[in-house]
Amino acid sequence: MLYTELTSLAQKEALDRFKAKGFPTNKWEEWKYASLKSWNEKDLDWTPAPLNETSSASLQTQNGNTSFHGALPAGVEFISFDAFLAANPTIAATWEQRLPILDQNSLYDLNTALVVNTLVLWVKAGVSVDQAITHDYILSVAKASAVQSRLIVYLEADASLTLIERAYTKADSAEVLSNFVQEIYVSEKANLTYVKEQDLAQNTTHIDHTFITQLSNSQVDLFTFSLNAAYLRNNLHFYSDGEKVVSNLNGLYVPGEDQLMDSHTVVDHRKPNSESHELYKGVLLGNATGVFNGKIFVRPDAQKTNAFQSCKNVLASTRATMNTKPQLEIWADDVKCSHGTTTGQLNEEALFYLRSRGISLANARTLLLLAFVQEVIDRVTHEETKLRLTDKIITKIQTSLAI
Amino acid sequence: MLSIKNLQARIGEKEILKGINLEIKAGEVHAIMGPNGSGKSTLASVLAGREDYEVTGGSVEFFGKDLLDLAPEERAAEGLFLAFQYPVEIPGVSTTNFMKSAVNEIRKYRGEEPLDAVQFLKMFKEKMSYVNIDQSLLSRALNEGFSGGEKKRNEIFQMAVLEPKLAILDETDSGLDIDALRIVAEGVNKLKSPDNATIVVTHYQRLLDYIIPDFVHVLYKGKIVKSGGKELALELEERGYDWIISALGE
Repeated sequence: MLYTELTSLAQKEALDRFKAKGFPTNKWEEWKYASLKSWNEKDLDWTPAPLNETSSASLQTQNGNTSFHGALPAGVEFISFDAFLAANPTIAATWEQRLPILDQNSLYDLNTALVVNTLVLWVKAGVSVDQAITHDYILSVAKASAVQSRLIVYLEADASLTLIERAYTKADSAEVLSNFVQEIYVSEKANLTYVKEQDLAQNTTHIDHTFITQLSNSQVDLFTFSLNAAYLRNNLHFYSDGEKVVSNLNGLYVPGEDQLMDSHTVVDHRKPNSESHELYKGVLLGNATGVFNGKIFVRPDAQKTNAFQSCKNVLASTRATMNTKPQLEIWADDVKCSHGTTTGQLNEEALFYLRSRGISLANARTLLLLAFVQEVIDRVTHEETKLRLTDKIITKIQTSLAI
Repeated sequence: MLSIKNLQARIGEKEILKGINLEIKAGEVHAIMGPNGSGKSTLASVLAGREDYEVTGGSVEFFGKDLLDLAPEERAAEGLFLAFQYPVEIPGVSTTNFMKSAVNEIRKYRGEEPLDAVQFLKMFKEKMSYVNIDQSLLSRALNEGFSGGEKKRNEIFQMAVLEPKLAILDETDSGLDIDALRIVAEGVNKLKSPDNATIVVTHYQRLLDYIIPDFVHVLYKGKIVKSGGKELALELEERGYDWIISALGE
């Protein structure tokens, strides 16, 4: 690994920490079902070159290099992390004391050590960005590589933004591990809608760490649509650090043959009177493996918290596996919390009913599976994205069931 | 149209149908009556292709084809329809939505062109009037929160859309008040033609006041033990089933 080329001490220390641990293996409790052990043995390019894609899309990350194309909307800046801290001395002063990232793991260190550039998408106070900003997250490497990407999104008070992320691998890419860290700050009364569409190739391992801090009266609607990749891991952490915060976590994963999708979510309620709603659904096709691990913390100060979590799965094949583990840690006494996970098969009575009307078994199953996932898709308000996702999911389910 | 010969079926280890014989011709309405547990609903389910039942003997021909060899969806495409005793609730699937799929799959099976959105709209409108059902019900998740009457009207609406050659109404009168019963029966009668036939499976005579059968069969312990005309139903209403059972020497 390119130790000598690292410039800062912090990077060197992070790399040392990573080297001491290596990639997570199934001996690590939080990575039990989603081991990355095999990546420890590979001969990897650690700094693959960026592509030269030009597109009308606004935000682009190419093999870890993030840039903005076209004109920025008024009231939005896209600058380096250093420039951002220079412009915001109060943030700079407290940055190192920001909320802990609970799931400290070797991959975060790896990212810190080797990330090429860290940029900040900065929405100024009171600015409501009308048009959704698209973030194309593109992977394309010549030889087996590990790609580190990092993005910071900072919404000042009363700001509002819709971000649509589309992660994909280009067709001619070699095997790639993508390690994507995002830190998102949503200030008082700010509003963020964030849709993640993860449609990567079968030679791609993608680990997404998204850490979101919310202050009072803010709202975040986050969607994670996991469509394709050999291995997809989402570490999604919400720090609800104000009053009357609304955090909506929506997830839909449809892993197919030889695919593993793991959602690890944390909602950390630290202040009173806030709410979180978590709805995750999975359709597992072929010999897919799914993991859902959802933690909710309600800290002693967080009285009157409403925190709800639901995870429902359909095993659409006898060879598929789903592992679920909801965890609640509640230290406050006046709260409403619930969690529930279910994993089952399609209702035989419903299948027979549809077949008795002339609908083939494969189509009846597709209809029922789509009805099952629609609840999550319907919550997306960005029409174009909703249609595209519906289309992709129908195609994936139909293709899988036709085999 | 339908020829059932010595049909035997079981669920698990339990023999339920023990040799049913029945011939049905186009234009006829047959009522199948009998006490609880006699095998009426099993017969309906076996004909529609429910996989919980194992056919252990006999044959069923539908327009010359071996019905028992066909998947449920193929039976539907061949013109068989089952109105369910307990219509299933299916969250997230509306009647309109799945009936479009059903109609076009059946048309494809028969080598016909699919209908487009405009043709569907026109056809659905016409069929809705048969059972006095409105669009809002058809747009809702299937049977979710429907009243008993709404569920059964929805079944007959689907029957009207699919225009089966043979319709089997499984205890369609159960859970209906008299007004709903009349609406459902009127729907069935409107759909009657010299080319199609109906099997009415019922415990009570009252549905037969509205849907007049040509033949009435009494099913008891998995066999048809008595057949007659519509007057048999009236006699059963008056005298119950005991006189038939005692005539069997049981």
